[in-house]
Amino acid sequence: MLDARALARFRRNRSAVAGAVVVAALVLFALVIPLLSRHGPLTSNFPDGVGPDLMPVGPCAEFPLGVDRIFRDVLSRLAVAGRLSLVIATSATLIATAIGTVVGVVAGYYEGSGLKVPWPALAGLVGAILAALLGWMWVAVSVLLAGVATSAVRHFSGPRLNVDGVLMRVVDVLLAFPFLLLVMAIGASLDHTSSVTIFVTLGVTGWLGIARVLRAKTLQVRTLDYVVASRALGQSTPRVLLRHVLPNIAGPLVVSATVLVAQMIVADAVLSFLGVGIAPPTPTWGRMLFEGQSSIQVAPWLVAAPATILVMAVWGFNMIGEGLRDALDPRGL
Amino acid sequence: MRRVLRRLGWSVVVVWAVVSLAFAVNNLLPGDPARMVAGAQARPADVARIRAQLGIGEPALVQYVRFWRRLVHVGPRVVDPKADPSHATCAVVVPLGSAAVHLDFGKSFMKHAPVVDLIATRLPRTFALAAAGMLVQLLFGLLTGVLAATRRGSRLDRLLVGTSVLGISAPTFLIALALQLVFARGLGWLPIDGFGTTLDEHLRCLVLPAVTLGIYGAAYYTRLVRDELAALLEQDWIRTARAKGAPAWRVVLLHGLRNALLPVVTAAGLDFGALMGGAVVTETVFRWPGLGDLSVQALLNRDGPVILACVVVTSVAIVVANLLVDALYARLDPRIGDVALTRSR
Amino acid sequence: MRSIRAAYDALAAALGLSAILLLVLPAGCSRALSDPIPPVHDDEAAPRRGGTLRLASISDLRGLDPAGAVDGLSLGPVHLIFAGLVDYDEHARIVPELADHWSVEDGGRTYRFVLRTGVTMHDGTELTADDVKRSIERALHPSTPSQFASYFTGLVGYGAYANGEAEHLEGVVAEGRYDVRFRLQRPDATFPYLLALHAMRPTCKSAGYRYSDTWLPCGAGPFKLERGGWQPGTSLRLVRHPGYFRPGLPYLDAVEWTFNMQEPAQRMHFERGELDLVRDWTDITAARFAADPRWQKYGAVEGDNAMYGETMNTRVPPFDNVEVRRAVAAAIDREHYRLTGPARMRVLTQALPGSVAVDPSYVGQRYDYAAALEHMRKAGYPYDPATGRGGWPDPIEYLLYDQGAVTLTAPLLQQDLARIGLRIRLKVVSFPTFLTLQQRAGAVAISLGSNLLDYPEPSAVFDGLFTTSSISPEGTQNTSFYSNPRFDELAAKAHLELDPERRRALYQEANAILCDEAPWAFTFGFHFYDVHQGYVRGFRPHPVWPLDVGSVWLDRTGDELERMLGGGLR
Repeated sequence: MLDARALARFRRNRSAVAGAVVVAALVLFALVIPLLSRHGPLTSNFPDGVGPDLMPVGPCAEFPLGVDRIFRDVLSRLAVAGRLSLVIATSATLIATAIGTVVGVVAGYYEGSGLKVPWPALAGLVGAILAALLGWMWVAVSVLLAGVATSAVRHFSGPRLNVDGVLMRVVDVLLAFPFLLLVMAIGASLDHTSSVTIFVTLGVTGWLGIARVLRAKTLQVRTLDYVVASRALGQSTPRVLLRHVLPNIAGPLVVSATVLVAQMIVADAVLSFLGVGIAPPTPTWGRMLFEGQSSIQVAPWLVAAPATILVMAVWGFNMIGEGLRDALDPRGL
Repeated sequence: MRRVLRRLGWSVVVVWAVVSLAFAVNNLLPGDPARMVAGAQARPADVARIRAQLGIGEPALVQYVRFWRRLVHVGPRVVDPKADPSHATCAVVVPLGSAAVHLDFGKSFMKHAPVVDLIATRLPRTFALAAAGMLVQLLFGLLTGVLAATRRGSRLDRLLVGTSVLGISAPTFLIALALQLVFARGLGWLPIDGFGTTLDEHLRCLVLPAVTLGIYGAAYYTRLVRDELAALLEQDWIRTARAKGAPAWRVVLLHGLRNALLPVVTAAGLDFGALMGGAVVTETVFRWPGLGDLSVQALLNRDGPVILACVVVTSVAIVVANLLVDALYARLDPRIGDVALTRSR
Repeated sequence: MRSIRAAYDALAAALGLSAILLLVLPAGCSRALSDPIPPVHDDEAAPRRGGTLRLASISDLRGLDPAGAVDGLSLGPVHLIFAGLVDYDEHARIVPELADHWSVEDGGRTYRFVLRTGVTMHDGTELTADDVKRSIERALHPSTPSQFASYFTGLVGYGAYANGEAEHLEGVVAEGRYDVRFRLQRPDATFPYLLALHAMRPTCKSAGYRYSDTWLPCGAGPFKLERGGWQPGTSLRLVRHPGYFRPGLPYLDAVEWTFNMQEPAQRMHFERGELDLVRDWTDITAARFAADPRWQKYGAVEGDNAMYGETMNTRVPPFDNVEVRRAVAAAIDREHYRLTGPARMRVLTQALPGSVAVDPSYVGQRYDYAAALEHMRKAGYPYDPATGRGGWPDPIEYLLYDQGAVTLTAPLLQQDLARIGLRIRLKVVSFPTFLTLQQRAGAVAISLGSNLLDYPEPSAVFDGLFTTSSISPEGTQNTSFYSNPRFDELAAKAHLELDPERRRALYQEANAILCDEAPWAFTFGFHFYDVHQGYVRGFRPHPVWPLDVGSVWLDRTGDELERMLGGGLR
């Protein structure tokens, strides 16, 4: 996939390399600063942080980026927030990519022909959905796994379903559903927001784009000569998928995933900004923006710092994605 | 024809599924609408009385059935709210002789007003914002896209693409805040937020939110136009036309743009549908009183009738946009997958 | 080489970006306060009639019916449209308003009010005792969404009326044209305080006997609402009621509100002279106005009616242990809390907010770290700050919502309690969820407690928040689920005690019990800081009602008056 020529093309692309450098710098910043900083991200500094007019102090020798409304050091908060935001974004992207790949490839591969779903798996899926609606998450997961395991162990017959149709309708429904309501619903049904619930939320709502992209690409790949040939020769479906389809969709997948990381960082910031992100006092970039917004007139650094670093991170990932896209597919853009 | 009917059928199912899901979610959310109406300090007896008055003491299934029965029904053509309280919150939409089709979302818990009135007031505002935002997006996107495509590989191209990526990189609220600071507070040219009372004020208040949406979305169209146009401009027949002496702009405009426009229109159509749902974050930051702002308030107040009405309007808008785009274009461009773009506005 | 150039490019881009942001942001910040627009005449000038007072609010108006649900914003206009039988004066004492005088009989079981004669309501008719009875029955009817009805369960016949069994309320009797008699089931010294609530205020005959959403509000207050005066979501305009019973008042021709206007916009309009009085300042702006010598005489502190604290569930460990609660009350450094909003927060050291405190200087709870550690030791969970060992072994959940002061005080609380060995974890939920959970038995261990006085009397705090009878499994106001028989006894006796001095002594004893047993750690009180322009004269903030502008007059030059009346807000 990323052969030598592609790598060379990537290296020649100055913006892409710039993006990569920025991302690397940010990762370094997030890792190193908390180790070096004198002040913790969660400690209010009385009386050092209190200025003469009882307002938080601005950037100075003691606090390079100033302090926030409750007098905590902004620099260390920014770095710790970086760790969290990057971890959440990448984890959410992994989940979204996994779900999106499975959905997209299945939908594309079985488009038109339908898929024979073994009865146990179908029963497991239906049962899982019912359980999930009733709120029994663990029951749902175990029922689903049981169904899939049973059908993997023995050969069962089952109905031929138009999975492509069903999956794409599900995508339509989820797209039409208001994001905010969905997020609040997920947040409310899970007991409290932690980083795990946030990236699960983002992952579960973010796979739609990748699914669509990979479905289209799978449709294309399906028509390739050697894929048609191997299917005609009777090769089993998993083998065809693994050896022929997957390598061909790897390119768009990686590009989409990289761009998705950028979108996840933004989505996480939006969630925090709307107040449904990680609980305080843990800092994330979006939360710092949310908290700094009200004091923008007296303490603009509270907004400037997280804003700058947020934009830099997202821009960096987007640039890498663009560069990968150009490197892997220079002709087709 | 059959395809059209099938798509129509599916659309109805989609809307039904979305609204039912919203109904379920709304019922499952913790929080008591009666408590929100009565206030945090009201005593349990008063809250209970208000809960009975709001009609939310009944089982969920009963409320569900009642909601759908009232949503669209046939009633008298002219309604006098005082004489006929059962149709007091209806909107007469399609006259059928002496009767008419009524649309009824019930009454808002918090504002005591028929929800159809609230929607009717706010829908045009969201429409105006969506249209203005779309206009700015397309203008920016087309201009920069054409520029970048015609000078592909040059510094300008890379600068424009890089800057447009910046537009997507910054979340909407950041762009909004930055614009507010510079143009409203700093320079004082435009209002900070709100809606104004006269047409002149409305237009001036529309500028910043529309530009925010524009910057955020233009980036996407820049890339789209640039990609499509660049591919087209490399084709032989274009080169032939230019070799024959046709001026560059004419080639670009007449041949290139016309073909490149199709995926742009497709994307724009879908985008508009999503924007009609209310660009929640932008409306909140600029206090633009549209559907997005209404749905956020309703969610925070657990105002069930309003939440459901907003979901209905949003899903219908998106579904209609989908149908229209489908009708315009036989096969969707598979690259249109940036759904998160339409999300975090 | 190329990659180094690329790196430089990236660095340059990043620096450029941050430079832009850091330059752009200060563009709109830290502008100095403008000069106040001074009055035309000097301090001794007599009030002049005329002009419109222009106000704004960040929120939207919910309604103007006194019998409906009323919130902080609507309280202002409702108070101007509807006058009550009695009102509170600037010391929060009951004084007659529409009533001429009243007498207490039967040891506090009967109150006889005699109305003023010749009071004209907005529709031109005279106020009679029948109007008073009708308005009260309208407010207390079971079909009315009033949030205060259950305060009046003491009226004779309330139960039957609230069930719909009785056509009329037996405990309110209109005897003659101007006499109203209230009969209570049990003597109650606090009843006059309840009569000043907006729900009890007389409405015009057009209001009828039942609540309706479409009624045009009409009462006997200094300002009236004309048809079309309220543009929902946009603005409200009240005009002078020429027949107001106080002669010569009000001076203003009209009062106007604009809704949904954020603070920066309000500040901009205020400095241009397009808004006359602003209440919705942020803490920081309020602090700057309060510290500026040019503006100090035009700033006014509104009543200290709100109290905040950390409410601890006395039925959930570890807060079922009174020593742990005492430790919490002593561990909180209230001065730090105050630093998050110095202009509008006051340190609170007792169970009553400043406006009704029996002894404002009484210190019931205070910050004392050594004492806090000592209480933890007595509780059985000693904590050693040097090693960090000891204290309560499990993390405790602290429930909060993401608006207002609590977003700042919660992390401070977390740090303070960590220092005595209590580790709390912040759980953020939406406001509706917060209310549901906090008011449910056994659901929450510790959360933010807040109370805004419904009426300026200590029973408003004690009865609702700390008595045993106020406990219910859902929707309770007693969020600490505190139950103390001696306290209940004191609270009940205070209702029966007609002598104000003896009542104050009872309240003070109850106050001392609360501070000692600490179901709440009382932390701060909150008040608004109003700032008005120099030409706004006669504004005296009311201890209870926001924006009580009945006796305000405007002192501007002629052509400015013209501009004020003719132009709108841009």
